[in-house]
Amino acid sequence: MILLITFAPIIAAVMIMLGLPARITAFVGSVLTLLLTMLEYFRFNSNAHGFQDIHTFPISGDLGLNFSLGIDGLSIVMLLLAAIILLAAVWFTGEVKHHENEFYACLLFIAGGAIGAFASLDLFFFYAFHELALIPTFLLIGIWGSGNRRAAAWKVTIYLALGSFILLIGLIMLYRAVPAPARTLDLRALQAAASAGQIAPAAQSPIYLLLLAGFGTLISLVPFHTWAPEAYASAPAPAAMLHAGVLKKFGLYGLLRIALPMLPDAARQWSNLLLVLLLANIIYIGLVTIAQRRLDWMLGYSSVMHMGYIFLGIASANLLGATGAAILMFAHGLSIALLFGITGEVRKRVRSLDFDALGGLAKYMPICAFLFGLGAFAAIGLPGFANFAAEIMVLFGAFRNGFDYAHFHAFQWATVLALWGVVISAVYMLRAYRRVFFGSANEGELVATDLNSNVRLPAAMLVAVSIFFGFFPQTLVQTISPAFRNYFAAEK
Amino acid sequence: MITLGDYLTVSGILFVIGFAGVLLRRNILIIFMALELMLNAANLSLVAFSRFRLGTNGMPDYNAQVLVFFIITVAAAEVAVGLAIIVALFRTRHTTHVEDISALKF
Amino acid sequence: MSFLPWIALLAPLAASAVIVLFAQRARGLSAFISVTAVLVSFVCSCLIFVNRRIAAPEIPWIEFPGILRAPIAFTLDQLSRTMLVVVSGVGALIHIYSLGYMRDDAGKSRYFAGLSFFMFAMLGIVLANNFVMMFIFWELVGVSSYLLIGHWFERDAAADAANKAFITNRIGDFGFMLGILMVWAATGSVIFEDIIPQLWRFTSNPAFLTISVLLIFCGAVGKSAQFPLHVWLPDAMEGPTPISALIHAATMVAAGVYMLVRVGFLVQASPDALRVIAWIGTITAVMAALIATQQDDIKRILAYSTLSQLGYMIMAVGLASSEAAMFHLFTHAFFKALLFLGAGAVIIALHHEQNIWKMGGQGRNLFLTFVTFGTGALALIGCPPFSGFFSKDAILALAYNRNGAIFAFALFTAFLTAFYMLRLLVVVFFGRPRSPIAQSSSEAPTSMLAPLFVLALLTLLGGFNFFAGRFLVIPREREMAVLVPALALLAMLAGAGIAIFVYRGCTTDPISVRALRKKLYVDEFYAWLIDNTQELLARISAFIDRWLIDVGIIRGASGGTWGFGALLRLMQVGNLQAYAFIFGLGIIWAIYFAVFR
Repeated sequence: MILLITFAPIIAAVMIMLGLPARITAFVGSVLTLLLTMLEYFRFNSNAHGFQDIHTFPISGDLGLNFSLGIDGLSIVMLLLAAIILLAAVWFTGEVKHHENEFYACLLFIAGGAIGAFASLDLFFFYAFHELALIPTFLLIGIWGSGNRRAAAWKVTIYLALGSFILLIGLIMLYRAVPAPARTLDLRALQAAASAGQIAPAAQSPIYLLLLAGFGTLISLVPFHTWAPEAYASAPAPAAMLHAGVLKKFGLYGLLRIALPMLPDAARQWSNLLLVLLLANIIYIGLVTIAQRRLDWMLGYSSVMHMGYIFLGIASANLLGATGAAILMFAHGLSIALLFGITGEVRKRVRSLDFDALGGLAKYMPICAFLFGLGAFAAIGLPGFANFAAEIMVLFGAFRNGFDYAHFHAFQWATVLALWGVVISAVYMLRAYRRVFFGSANEGELVATDLNSNVRLPAAMLVAVSIFFGFFPQTLVQTISPAFRNYFAAEK
Repeated sequence: MITLGDYLTVSGILFVIGFAGVLLRRNILIIFMALELMLNAANLSLVAFSRFRLGTNGMPDYNAQVLVFFIITVAAAEVAVGLAIIVALFRTRHTTHVEDISALKF
Repeated sequence: MSFLPWIALLAPLAASAVIVLFAQRARGLSAFISVTAVLVSFVCSCLIFVNRRIAAPEIPWIEFPGILRAPIAFTLDQLSRTMLVVVSGVGALIHIYSLGYMRDDAGKSRYFAGLSFFMFAMLGIVLANNFVMMFIFWELVGVSSYLLIGHWFERDAAADAANKAFITNRIGDFGFMLGILMVWAATGSVIFEDIIPQLWRFTSNPAFLTISVLLIFCGAVGKSAQFPLHVWLPDAMEGPTPISALIHAATMVAAGVYMLVRVGFLVQASPDALRVIAWIGTITAVMAALIATQQDDIKRILAYSTLSQLGYMIMAVGLASSEAAMFHLFTHAFFKALLFLGAGAVIIALHHEQNIWKMGGQGRNLFLTFVTFGTGALALIGCPPFSGFFSKDAILALAYNRNGAIFAFALFTAFLTAFYMLRLLVVVFFGRPRSPIAQSSSEAPTSMLAPLFVLALLTLLGGFNFFAGRFLVIPREREMAVLVPALALLAMLAGAGIAIFVYRGCTTDPISVRALRKKLYVDEFYAWLIDNTQELLARISAFIDRWLIDVGIIRGASGGTWGFGALLRLMQVGNLQAYAFIFGLGIIWAIYFAVFR
């Protein structure tokens, strides 16, 4: 089952490259992926311990290298996210001006790589699948992008390659940190070794910092973030949806799966550093976002900013915070994909995305305005959307970390500042919304037509999923939290 | 009595002359000849080594002499190829001077 | 029966969803759906009110055993049942009124969807049994208020006012959420009932409690538009008038007061916090009343009077009397909704003219409106036997007993209230019409007038014990002081008398106080403050990000790589003999190392 899910997009991509009609094949492939993933989600037994539906194919005995796939509560939710966003991105793709087959194949490869990385139980394939997804990202931005697309493509590629490289060093060091007879690339065995205390606390620190820098670059942690707004501004909308919605979550997934549970001592030791960086993500990037004057850049920066909340959940290193972080990954993926998708549609209809050149679009494109508004409110954490439930968990989890009556400690102050970030995000999002959709219309936009059903339906799907899990976040909590319960068992 | 050292000295002088020719001369034909000179310097020292390194049965070590024949053969082939390249170069560039051939410079 | 609260809560949500999904084009149908939903809610609320034993099932929203439990569950006590009836009742009246007011509006479907959504959110606040659920609906009323203020989004003023309202509320909610976090961290629960037995944990940390309560109060400051976050409410008058009546007068802005009463056990545990709350309420009451005396827009005068009356309620909360606060909330909901709806009727009759100096003489043209509006105005200024007299008197008596300085300010506010309301009445309804439209005005349609009469009746009855006593616990202080009603009446008569004397027969405002016309420059001050803090920081951050980090460090790194490469390229002279020379040197170097080292 999990094999089918992993390879469905890749097989579809290969078939498209071989010449099958692109849009239909991609659509069928992504629908199939989503259906299989949903089936897997419903079959998933959240009461069972550990990974489920495991498939292992030995590759190299010397290295302990196996191609092995499996899921637990965290990865099944990530798979669900990837499948939903893939379908939405394929659906959102309108007319592709040239090389249509290659465009769809790239989209499917990104999703396939992300799904493979989320489902891998082996460090090597975990890394390799992510690299597989980076190449089509580069192609999508460089070939089908807008604006200064070449520069953006090179920038994002070099940045992410560098991040992956640092990450690779960290992973190799992690592999070698375990005593020689127990060395393995298997995540479960590594976790067991780490839980048994076989990774010395002194050895954890450099590995943790490398992983933080490597994963941090992939997630756009300040100060490794400047690729993100430029790349998202240049990327074609479906690529931005897939990258910001799914692929970027790989880094967070890695932190939750590897850095936090396997290197707990280092995570505790460096939590203040992480707090400083994530507050920079929230407050500093929040302020930068306020100063943006273009819709696409504003959204790019806002997506960087919201990473700070996920980091806060990860940094708080307790059940509540980590579960919240995982749900926020899911929720943020939905909302940012919706926003990028609709921005892409707006870009097709108006001449410029400068705030000064826009205004009053709600009059001509009421459905577009409505859907964008839902996405914007989801992004700023309005109750009713999954983002809010996740943020609540993150904030509660962070505030609880090291709480005492007499003083506020680092985590309490961090929570205060993160809460202020919620105000900042309301400021920039509503201002942008007001500039673009409210007020009187500019000339030249009179021709703007509203969204057709090719865009409405996937957008409605994203909104519906977000609202469903916003009303019933407990379903996700029940799925995800067992995955963390073992790691944080000692916490009281 | 001529010792191994004398042979090697002559061989070294020949080699240096050849190397200096490669470095300093500007005409590519002369450079090519200097290159051959360096090869023959090596041949000379090889033959000398062969002559002075007697085996247990009192015979010279013929391995070195085989190598010399090998070098002579290869050098002949190399001359053929090298001269062909020089002719081709002259046809395209109309020069045999190396200063004029600097396509490798950026 | 146990599903009644769920029906009451979800009917408007369902209506809103159905309108958005299926009835965007069918304007009449969406109005019908919305009105039906609110009537269903109202009937359910009445049944819940009558039947005291109803308990509703709960659903878990977020549940981490032993850590955090935040269900969607209902509190059904006297307080919430009363609020339920008031909110859905006033809401139903305003829905009906909107049928007339928004009859020809192009965005009627959107309007009714928003109105239904607001009903859902507001009922959620009323029913909430824990802080997280309250916060959820708290934010949802904020967003519905945003949508409805921005209903006429083409108008820049409306779009700006909507943003201002939402963001100001978010600032208040920042404090509210932080307060919730602190209370939860201290007591381990967010459910009101579970917090009460844990209150002892605070006894060793009174400062912690005070800060928590003040932070929670921040939420009320935002939502109930208290000083210093009051600035959004007057601007919110850019929305349609029924919205002003429902959201920005009768129900949503009272949510802050309701919330403080709901968590009264917490608030009253901290005397320091109470003092701050009482003074914030007092400052708001006086300041808003002062500003109201110099406004020319009929809706803005009412908006400032709302601020002032909310100040009274907060003052009562701060003086540790939930009963007095709720009593005034109860009566105020009726008479302020009545006043706004009356103002709406006038505005419609004058084709959306809102400046009172262009009205005049409407008492003759709009007699029915005048009668009902007058009822509301008399209730507002505290004229017996209208409801406002009783509830305001309760607060005054409370202040008299607890804090003399606050009592003095409250009395002064009562005087100002009478002054500005009589100014409004005299200028709008008496004298001669001062514009052509005002001469030819005619009465609004029945669907608008009917709610006015119902509300007028409620205003008349609302203060009496036999009526209000069914809904509320009437505070006891009223019987204690005899002096207070006399002083209050005196202040009212003085204010009314002066206003009539000054404004009778005027065609322009004879008094002009610049500072009050400019609303004490608070908006200007905030604009300056935001420009010099947030905007400045934003610009600096953007500069750092763009030029220092991106161009400086990132492009610097890539530029450095390029430069180093260029340096290395200089070694490629392209001369074969130079390469051979370097090669020779390398050989010598290698031999040296191989042989001589």
